[in-house]
Amino acid sequence: MKWLRPLRLKHSLSSQYLLLIIAAVLFLPIALPVVSVLLFNIGNAGQAAPNPYQSGAALESMWHKEARGLAGAGAVDIDAKLRELKGAYPEADMFWVDDLGQTMLALPEQPELPDRWTPSYTVSFMKQHYNADPFTIVAFLGEHDGAGFMVMQVPREHMEPPYQRLWIHETTFIFVTMFIILVLFLLLSWLFFYRIRTRLLGLQRAMAIDDERTTPEPVTVLNLDEIGRLESSFNTMVEQLRQSRQREEEEEQLRRQLIANLSHDLRTPLTAIRGHIYSLREEVSSPEGQSSLELVDSKIGYLSELIDNLLSYSLLYAGKYPRHPERTDIVRLVRAQAAHWYPAFEEASFVIELDLPESGMYWELDPRWLERVLDNLFQNVLRHARSGRYIEIRVELPDQATDTREGGGAILIRDRGPGMQGDSPDKGTGLGLSIVSLMLQEMQLRWQIDSTEDGTTIRIQPD
Amino acid sequence: MTRILYIEDDHDIGSWTVTDLQKRGYQVTWLKTGEEADTHAGDADLVILDIMLPGLDGFTIGQRLKKQWPDLPILMLSARTAVDDKLLGLQFADDYLTKPFHPDELAARIQVLLRRGTPAETRQLALEHLSIKLPGCQIIDTRTNEEVLLTGKQFHIFMYLLKHPGQVLTKEQIYESVWGEPYLDGDKTLNVHIRYLREKIEADPSQPTIIQTVRGIGFRVRLS
Repeated sequence: MKWLRPLRLKHSLSSQYLLLIIAAVLFLPIALPVVSVLLFNIGNAGQAAPNPYQSGAALESMWHKEARGLAGAGAVDIDAKLRELKGAYPEADMFWVDDLGQTMLALPEQPELPDRWTPSYTVSFMKQHYNADPFTIVAFLGEHDGAGFMVMQVPREHMEPPYQRLWIHETTFIFVTMFIILVLFLLLSWLFFYRIRTRLLGLQRAMAIDDERTTPEPVTVLNLDEIGRLESSFNTMVEQLRQSRQREEEEEQLRRQLIANLSHDLRTPLTAIRGHIYSLREEVSSPEGQSSLELVDSKIGYLSELIDNLLSYSLLYAGKYPRHPERTDIVRLVRAQAAHWYPAFEEASFVIELDLPESGMYWELDPRWLERVLDNLFQNVLRHARSGRYIEIRVELPDQATDTREGGGAILIRDRGPGMQGDSPDKGTGLGLSIVSLMLQEMQLRWQIDSTEDGTTIRIQPD
Repeated sequence: MTRILYIEDDHDIGSWTVTDLQKRGYQVTWLKTGEEADTHAGDADLVILDIMLPGLDGFTIGQRLKKQWPDLPILMLSARTAVDDKLLGLQFADDYLTKPFHPDELAARIQVLLRRGTPAETRQLALEHLSIKLPGCQIIDTRTNEEVLLTGKQFHIFMYLLKHPGQVLTKEQIYESVWGEPYLDGDKTLNVHIRYLREKIEADPSQPTIIQTVRGIGFRVRLS
């Protein structure tokens, strides 16, 4: 069972994709706590020493303990003690008042303090600082009344825990971190998709076949994942295609060669026959003999034409008849072709009516193909419509009013023979007309045959 | 005597063609392969060449001969009728005739090629009341025994028509051959020149008999 095979990440796009999806789903529930924990640790790490101001109770007991220790101490001792404490708690303000209510040492100087503490000022000081900022501790020296007191004031901002102090920065930090993670995630998934896309496009480019190549180029397989497997299957296919193309070409070559050889081999004896008939003419004296020799000679001509048609038809049918379309002046081509056939029609005492415009008319086609078509059609008229002794060749220009684009107009060939249904002494297989039909179709021309017993009109025009 | 080098591998066709050509007064050397073509071609006035030969094929032999003797006329005589073959052949050969050919046609084409190949040969052409000396195309009016003088273009037009006797030539063909530039629709230059030409050579220019107009197509000179 294939799906049970362990998924190797590198070789499976689906597991890579699954990983991405899992990352997306778990993004919020995992990222948020992780970020918070991280932040807390960073906050604590930033201030490794514990905050000495953090606990009010600790400060209070310390302050009272120190005050108790100063029972009966002289002013100099108290000053020294206060300075020492100030050294330990630099953020705190300290001062002391003696038993007479006189403000003694204040660290730092506090000008708003009175020199002498009246009972009313003392009360209002106490009231004012109770539960207020700064946090104020008052302790009697020696722990009994009337011996003076010392005061410590700590601004409350110093008493908050460090991470709390960072609270505002912290929310920004969380958002920024989340944003970065989000961007990273988007980048990752985009990269994932982009890589797939690049490889698919590369494959598409390799599959495209232009004019110069008949088979696609194989691609280089770098990875063994799903696309990599697709690429290697593609390469196998390309190889098979190439081989079959080559076989096909060889077969086609063989076939062409065969037909050409066949045509050659058929013509060679015909040539000899014709030659000997020619020699016989001088030997045979009776008119019957002469006329049968003439018949044989004309049949040889017909047979040779048939061979030629067979060759052309087989090449045409296989799509191997050489074709080089170009912008061709139809009037000029029809005129040249009519000129070529003129003596033959004249000899058969045809009335030849030509109606060719003065200006050119352009169609996009291989001129040799159209020449071949006209040859076949004229040959047909000469052979099958001889009794009518009439041919009309006409080129109609496109109607300027309705059809301004290039490629309009028509070629018209009309005879007064017995029609295509009628009897002709040389009625053949119609191979000539099949060739005309195939060639016109390939040239994207339409033809229309209007044949009655009074004659045939053939009209050729672009599709 | 005109010497023809004939290369043909088929015995029946070869022996018969040789006989026919000899009857027509040609001296024929017949080779069955092209191997020794080079040694005989130097003496020949014309080469008739088949394409399908054992060993070297006709295309190769023809190209070789043409390279060595560019003025030697070569007539391809082949049973290969594909358009490609004809085009390939006519790249170097002067004419291409397909089998089964008619002996008269072969003889006619040989004559055309020889005429083209030997400009020194003088011929006298009689056309109605005109006597034309080729290749200079000196035209004598036999009624007065005076020479008819043509302008350059008239001369070229007449020569071109004479070179293709019996053929109907379109005005595009004549114009492009004489002027050497593409014919433009509706150009009357050629008609004007033909009119002047007729005034000089025709007995009755309004009823031309030498240069015939083939309505809708072009012109023709028919030799009687």
